[in-house]
Amino acid sequence: MDDLTQNILISGIGGQGVVLAGRIISLAAFESGMDIKTSEVHGMSQRGGSVTTHIRFGRKIFSPLIPEKSATAILSFDIYETLRYAGSFANKNTIIISSYDGKTPAWTSKTKNDTIANNFTDIYSIASLLKDNFKSLTLLDDKRIAENLGNVKVSNIILIGALSVFTDIKEEIWLKIIKTNVPEKTADLNIKAFMKGRASL
Amino acid sequence: MLNKTLDYSKLLLTGNEAIALGGARAGVFTAVGYPGTPSSEILPYLSKLKSGAIVNWSINEKTALEIAIGTSIGCKRAMFTTKHVGLNVASDPLMTLALTGVRGGLVVVTADDPGMHSSQNEQDNRLYSKFAKIPMFEPSDSQECLDFTSKAFDVSEEFDTPVILRTTTRISHSRSVVVFSGKFPPKKDEKEELENTKNTYKKDIEKFVMVPVYARKRHKAALERLKRLIDFSNGSGLNSIEYNDKEFGIITSGISYQYAKEIAPFSSFLKLSFSYPLPDLLIKDFVKNVKNIVIIEELEPFIQNEIASLGIKLKGKEYFPRNGELNPDIVLSGFKKAGFFKGKKTDKEKDADKEFDISLGNNLPPRFPALCSGCPHTSVFYALKKLKVPVMGDIGCYTLGALPPLSAMDSCISMGLAFGAAQGLSLTKSSHKKTVGIMGDSTFFHSGITSLIDAKYNNAKFTAIILDNSTTAMTGGQDHPGTGGNLSFNQSISNKIDIKKIIEGIGIEEIFVIDPYNYNETFKTLKKALDSNNLNAVITNRPCVLYPKKIDTGKKFKITDGCTGCDLCMQTGCPSIRLSYGKTGGKSANAEIKPIPFIDSSCIGCSVCKDICVFNFIEEIKLS
Repeated sequence: MDDLTQNILISGIGGQGVVLAGRIISLAAFESGMDIKTSEVHGMSQRGGSVTTHIRFGRKIFSPLIPEKSATAILSFDIYETLRYAGSFANKNTIIISSYDGKTPAWTSKTKNDTIANNFTDIYSIASLLKDNFKSLTLLDDKRIAENLGNVKVSNIILIGALSVFTDIKEEIWLKIIKTNVPEKTADLNIKAFMKGRASL
Repeated sequence: MLNKTLDYSKLLLTGNEAIALGGARAGVFTAVGYPGTPSSEILPYLSKLKSGAIVNWSINEKTALEIAIGTSIGCKRAMFTTKHVGLNVASDPLMTLALTGVRGGLVVVTADDPGMHSSQNEQDNRLYSKFAKIPMFEPSDSQECLDFTSKAFDVSEEFDTPVILRTTTRISHSRSVVVFSGKFPPKKDEKEELENTKNTYKKDIEKFVMVPVYARKRHKAALERLKRLIDFSNGSGLNSIEYNDKEFGIITSGISYQYAKEIAPFSSFLKLSFSYPLPDLLIKDFVKNVKNIVIIEELEPFIQNEIASLGIKLKGKEYFPRNGELNPDIVLSGFKKAGFFKGKKTDKEKDADKEFDISLGNNLPPRFPALCSGCPHTSVFYALKKLKVPVMGDIGCYTLGALPPLSAMDSCISMGLAFGAAQGLSLTKSSHKKTVGIMGDSTFFHSGITSLIDAKYNNAKFTAIILDNSTTAMTGGQDHPGTGGNLSFNQSISNKIDIKKIIEGIGIEEIFVIDPYNYNETFKTLKKALDSNNLNAVITNRPCVLYPKKIDTGKKFKITDGCTGCDLCMQTGCPSIRLSYGKTGGKSANAEIKPIPFIDSSCIGCSVCKDICVFNFIEEIKLS
């Protein structure tokens, strides 16, 4: 792994579009002419479980998995998953873009242990914990931005827009890849969402 | 997908997509399989390529391989895809196919799942190649998936043998750059094909009728073939040596090669792409020229034991685990144990100042997968939990009914096990409650029918539940005989096979069909079926909420003022029922005031929680 290798970890909950986001980011990097490898999760964990996609690009890539503490960026669709994976993949220089939203069903919130980190209830404490520990943390209220755009489903693309600022990939490539990888009817909306995310930093 | 915006010759593909492309390039005539992670995307992608191949899902892996064998006997190329455990189902035809050999090339693609991301075990299917005495390819990226799939067909025909192409999750579900050269072979004129005597059906009982007298000859032929394959393994160029620092050498295959290149690029490498039978001469050469050698392989010490049988003792499993999948960090720690980094700094140590310790994430509870909002399986498991019956389960999305909070399934071992196990368990009378066997529609077709026939035949007494959601949901919504559609044709009534009629045909008289969105009816019917002492069946009839299309009933529900936070509805495990982020929530277990749940916007309106809330605090939101 040389210094030019980018390691992007996407984390979220199965069903949130982690695989689609991975496809958009990796195709954008690929279109920019870089060597690239990704690793996705399909099957059982996709049903509401904790999921990740690993994306690595640069001059020459061997392992499709990102080594520990080596993520150059973490893109997360759920704040609890941000905390989970920042622990094992982030280093001091890791750029973290995370949704401010955290989702979990009620029954898992009701764990017997009452410390903050031991259950899924307290989103505010987790946010401040992340803020205290990561200089380059961006928490986005992507759901609200998406609602204002008229469709909560584009929240992923907003987060990708925010991430795009930290890459060398040209804006026109991002736009082209998004256009060709979302349903045709929603292309304009997704482009708008991407630009909103890009401008949010 | 082939990305239309890009030059067709350079693509970013998953291993599975590349295997499909390789099959198309090799002119596959028939491609069949049964869905199973991580193999499921190969056939749909091949079908989309429109190469002229006949691509279909089969009822199970054994039938699929049998279809492939028939195609091969008919002098055409056939591909069979399966997940690792599916090859067990197909192992009966495989073991004897290894003796008969082939006419048209036949490639068995087995996608293994080290680490069990979505499987019930992590068996190492490389052992099948040795067991059956057939050759094996192990690609290490998508380019090799493409190239080796094509090559495997050539080897199959040249050596008159089925060939195994073995991937793992990190090969099948990783994307990497693929250069595609060449075209799909044009579909040949059928008349011209028939005139070509090479392609006409030939009867040859000594080759394909494995009665003892002929099978003995074929076994001998298979052993002869293995000798010729060793020469091929040494000389084909598929296995190759890369000399760097001759102090350190690595023998490896598949994804482990990529991890090793990442972590110890300074070493010399013997990369095994054609990993059975092993290239004995290359190995001896490598051992002679390199001082310290380790073998890196996931799961079993397959390469290590094969090399040991050549009389060469090398270390491997002494440094690397025999369970779980490898990753760059596990490989690094193994190298350190093996002394590869003595006096050297690893990349990570160079970056030590960048390290950052945030261990708080470790305290988060694991997020298990769960049944979807509105999943038709939820109410059945909720009812079974209340009925406190022993439940023999099976493999599919509904296996999640075993996890908390539903916790209403007591076994999950193999595809189609439930009804056999239910019969066996009911015989023991170790529970005073009636036994339940439960499986999905696709699993019922796969291998549940036979055990239900056995149950009727042997006077078994249990309740068989079939959760019919009209799709193979866990693997991504594939068709099966109950849907009446397949990859090569659209859904039609004439192809649809009716589960209820099958059960009637078996002679089971008590059959209940229920709507699982009506919880009260579901509970009552299950209770009735369990109170009866007969062998009976319950079939649910709601489609999956994800496949073939996402379902939203359009109804919305809310929890009204007055709710005491009793947690009845929370025990459904529905992901749409949540607690607010309020700080008091964290102290719920000891606090006097219980947190009140709410239903979020992901609710699709199945209404099951409304039935379950006996206090009537859940009501439909009337949209004006």
